[in-house]
Amino acid sequence: MLKCTIDGREVEFQSGQNLIEVAKKAGIEIPYFCYHPGLSIVAQCRMCTVEIEKNPKLQTACSTPASDGMVVSTKSEKAKKNQRSVMEFLLVNHPLDCPICDKAGECDLQDNSFKFGDAYMRTSEDRRTFMDLDMGPVIKKNMNRCIHCTRCIRFGAEVAGIREMVAIQRGNNTEITTIDGRPLETEYAGNYSDICPTGSLTLKDFRFKKRAWFLKKTATVCEGCSRGCNMEIQQEGGQIYRCIPRENQEINQWWMCDEGRFNYRYTMDKSRITEPKVGTPGALAQTDWGSAIQAARKAIQGKKTLLLLGSDLTQEEAILLQKFAKQTLANADVRHFGTPGVKTVADDAAADRLLKRKSKTSNLHGVEKLGISAFESIPAGTEAILVVRGGRAVLPSFGGVASVVGVGVFADSEAKALSTVLPGAAFTEKDGTIVNFQGQEQKLKRSVLPAGKSKALSEILALWTHQGAGLSSQTGSKSSAATLSEGAV
Amino acid sequence: MLVKAKKNALQNLYIVEIVKGLAITMKNMLFGKTVTIQYPEERRQYSERYRGQHYIKATNGVENCTACMLCPTVCPAECIHIEAGERPDKEKYPVKFEIDVLRCCFCGMCEEACPKDAIKLSNIYEMSQQQREAYDKGFLLEQRGNK
Repeated sequence: MLKCTIDGREVEFQSGQNLIEVAKKAGIEIPYFCYHPGLSIVAQCRMCTVEIEKNPKLQTACSTPASDGMVVSTKSEKAKKNQRSVMEFLLVNHPLDCPICDKAGECDLQDNSFKFGDAYMRTSEDRRTFMDLDMGPVIKKNMNRCIHCTRCIRFGAEVAGIREMVAIQRGNNTEITTIDGRPLETEYAGNYSDICPTGSLTLKDFRFKKRAWFLKKTATVCEGCSRGCNMEIQQEGGQIYRCIPRENQEINQWWMCDEGRFNYRYTMDKSRITEPKVGTPGALAQTDWGSAIQAARKAIQGKKTLLLLGSDLTQEEAILLQKFAKQTLANADVRHFGTPGVKTVADDAAADRLLKRKSKTSNLHGVEKLGISAFESIPAGTEAILVVRGGRAVLPSFGGVASVVGVGVFADSEAKALSTVLPGAAFTEKDGTIVNFQGQEQKLKRSVLPAGKSKALSEILALWTHQGAGLSSQTGSKSSAATLSEGAV
Repeated sequence: MLVKAKKNALQNLYIVEIVKGLAITMKNMLFGKTVTIQYPEERRQYSERYRGQHYIKATNGVENCTACMLCPTVCPAECIHIEAGERPDKEKYPVKFEIDVLRCCFCGMCEEACPKDAIKLSNIYEMSQQQREAYDKGFLLEQRGNK
């Protein structure tokens, strides 16, 4: 077993690991800016220098692999002095506009300056200033705050696969910019803001909305495609402000695409229907839950029904619907729908080189596992359709069937073909399991309460069956409600 | 056990005691020092450091506040509500800056936390208003007290 000593503690490591990772495992913090486990190592910021025994000079911990018997000191007088000096150099041109900066509170430069820097600085010269060009719809640049760690340049070239960020000029005049000042093209631009250790690259979407320390965080999974990137929803008072990726080496590493990052918006959109609505297609009127359930039941009762379930529902919801169909909707045909052009698992493939998948619904692989087959076309003689979806599955054409009951998240424009809408919970508002394309089961976690009068699917179906006297001849309403609640989400 | 004090008829009338008491009252009324003042004609002198009504300091007509949200963060009564925005002459400024003065406990921590010397507590102690919406940004910018 390979062992080295860091700050007097013996630490085991695997060969090839660098000192930052080895120290992190042992709970010893080495400050750094330019190092990122997902990017190549450039040893540019010089913040992580440590003293290694028998080495005449300080070494950068990020570029030094640990070796057997190495004796490292991260808190020696020499190392500490270097950390102080590096912090002073980095702050020579930093505007210290933390009150304005969105990064404040989660900023590496701020944290490390507080922990390792000096409270006073000796320079009195003017700081350099830049005029910033627009960088497209996702990222707002503020070059004044930049410390030239080049993480963004490396992310573009190594991960996103597009060399769009470059450093121009030299030395004190170094400027990080896009080539010819063009707007960013990558669909992973949000990650620039995540990896930036200062507030140079921040999200336009989140600009001045909320300070980082007010946000409450929930670890959940993205429902944007069948990859299921691990992410964190950050909300305050029921309002979601942003989503950021969480590290998961097997699925998304450290990254996340912009589509998934901003996917939460539809759950808070004004056009989302959050009250039960009843009427005829195109002319829906708001009503209360009791009469909406009754109307929905009337629209389905005794008719030849097609139950369409979106492949953006969780496993629990899909199982619940299968049971519901068996017990309450006699002879109903159960099919799943989702992304146009991606009917079954066989159609789902990588949509780009990094993360995106072709299936734009999260649980296609899960509902297929449950033995539900894909929706092809409306079978002849269908009199009513019950369509249940999360929020991302694209509604198919209902081909002139008049009574269509929709359960789930619908926008006003999508509800035109529906005769009854029972508002359900979006992915941010429910717990559940989804299965990604690798077959990994992951948990969705509720971060906010259902919007308006929306209810969880289990609640809606319980209402449906519990008050459904005379609806089903085979099973009593009580027993079916009890069975349904077994799988309650 | 109750012990009843024995009093004669004159003592039972309390006349002597009433006169004695009135003498003290009259002495204080006629020759004593007045402790009250004729508010609002007369005003007391408060300390320079008195923490009264809030105001937002402005420099050259522009509010100092950059909506950094440190005052709502530190406020123990959670009575400061700020919304940040952007305008051409200032990268970040408070679009909305409201103080729920009824909730405020006048601890002065907002003043202490402010990195921009923007929110201050003045010497104004008469804070009654006729509208609930009174303590908005415009009002807070106007109020300066003696500062």
